[in-house]
Amino acid sequence: MTVEDLSVPAHWRRRLTYYRLVAGRCKKCGRLHYPPAPACPYCGSKDLELIEINNKGKLETYTIIYSAPGKSRGRAPIIVGVVNIEGLRIVSELTDIEPEELKTGIDVEPVLRRMDEDTNKGIIRYAIKFRPVLVPKSEERG
Amino acid sequence: MSNAVVTGTGILRVRRQYSKSLKDLAAEAAFKALDESGLDSVDYVVVSSSLSYTEIGQLGLSGHISNYIGLTGVRSIAVEDGEASGLAAVEVATYLIKSGVADNVLVIGVDKLTEFTSGRVYEDLQKINDSELFLLHKIGHAGMAGLLMRMYMNRYNIPRDELSYWPALMHSYAKENPNAMLRFAIDPLAVKKSLSIADPITLLDSFPLGDGAAALVISNSEVSRGEGLAKIKACASSTGFTNPFSQDDPLKIGSLISAYQKLIEMTGLKISDIDVMEIHDSFTITAMMILESLGLSKEGEAAKDVANGKYSKDSRPAINLSGGLKARGHPIGATGVYMIAELSRQLGGVFEGVSLNNASKALAIQINGFGSSSRLVLLERR
Repeated sequence: MTVEDLSVPAHWRRRLTYYRLVAGRCKKCGRLHYPPAPACPYCGSKDLELIEINNKGKLETYTIIYSAPGKSRGRAPIIVGVVNIEGLRIVSELTDIEPEELKTGIDVEPVLRRMDEDTNKGIIRYAIKFRPVLVPKSEERG
Repeated sequence: MSNAVVTGTGILRVRRQYSKSLKDLAAEAAFKALDESGLDSVDYVVVSSSLSYTEIGQLGLSGHISNYIGLTGVRSIAVEDGEASGLAAVEVATYLIKSGVADNVLVIGVDKLTEFTSGRVYEDLQKINDSELFLLHKIGHAGMAGLLMRMYMNRYNIPRDELSYWPALMHSYAKENPNAMLRFAIDPLAVKKSLSIADPITLLDSFPLGDGAAALVISNSEVSRGEGLAKIKACASSTGFTNPFSQDDPLKIGSLISAYQKLIEMTGLKISDIDVMEIHDSFTITAMMILESLGLSKEGEAAKDVANGKYSKDSRPAINLSGGLKARGHPIGATGVYMIAELSRQLGGVFEGVSLNNASKALAIQINGFGSSSRLVLLERR
């Protein structure tokens, strides 16, 4: 899907997924899933609630994408990671980090960042990305 | 209940086919399969294609192809399940035979991946993933593979070069297969040095972009009267998580484990009974995940097993003698049809590449992405 052909309603519908980390929690089995679905993907229950998971997490794995699809090729290398927040794994772009600084296990936090721009419809798209949590100098010295 | 038998196969070499259209490729493979089966027409045409709409701009493909190849007036249907479309089409064709709806079914798998630049094709290929979740972030097919490969290497402390024996093995088979796209041998050490696509995935870890078509005639065994290359013993499939990272263990393919369990319940199959398999090695890591999900290798040991020759052509099951997705090629919607055509020819003793003597059972495995669905087809010698 190119930037141009994402429909305005589709982007609006996905605002909770893209702009806020809203997950589904199953009241029956207790498991989290993201993005929210109409039935729990683990146990099938429809007894669900929405919760916001705006916390920091740990970087479990990452990749550096050089052959980026389509019109995002100009943004390459794109760094993508899997962030584990309270057992929920979220696949997201990483930002404010260089390829040589990447390390699994580091703490990362969500931040709202500009993604790209639809030049036809004038929509500037934002999304949650994750960035490394800065360690205060005093803590660093131990 | 009727038995379904493969009575005709048509395989085109996977390659860049600038001079032929999608319908031309479909026709060439279909005519080969019909010639081999000795039939002029069939009751039903099942078409498998994943990218025809985005790459070619064609809807209603089964009707358009049937008309183009002179089968106007037959019944037809198109089947799409992403990368697993080919085996989905074989599953539908098998049920059409077994239910008595049709006596002869033509299955055509076809896709063109070289109509546009690779950036455009990668953009279409990323739709294999859950679009709702992954399209904004441009993670792509190779990106998901890169995340999984690093997780695998870190968890089991596997050096990069140990994973490079898989692509080298696939190239050694493809070299002997006249229908493979990449017919040359590679040194395992070359894999690390090739172009980085989605670190740690390199170009040589991933399938090539090529055009392809393969076709099968599947017939009711009572009608084919003893003719045919192989019997379709069973088809099993399962849905799974659209995002592998939603699974407790992202490195296990839940839908494959579930589909495999169903196949065992249906047939009493033991993996040691299988002589030859074609597995869905879209990337080196996908092959490792499949070998470990099936229990052929222990967790974290598939790469070492490959390096030590456990999956050579002399061991059982022998795996991907075609060269696999890696080197035979992966024309997305066509790939599963290639697998069944190649395995049928192995069982019939007429496979053109590295072949086995007296193979009697064969298994084909496909996965969409990293497990939104998995499909298996078990074949037996006639």
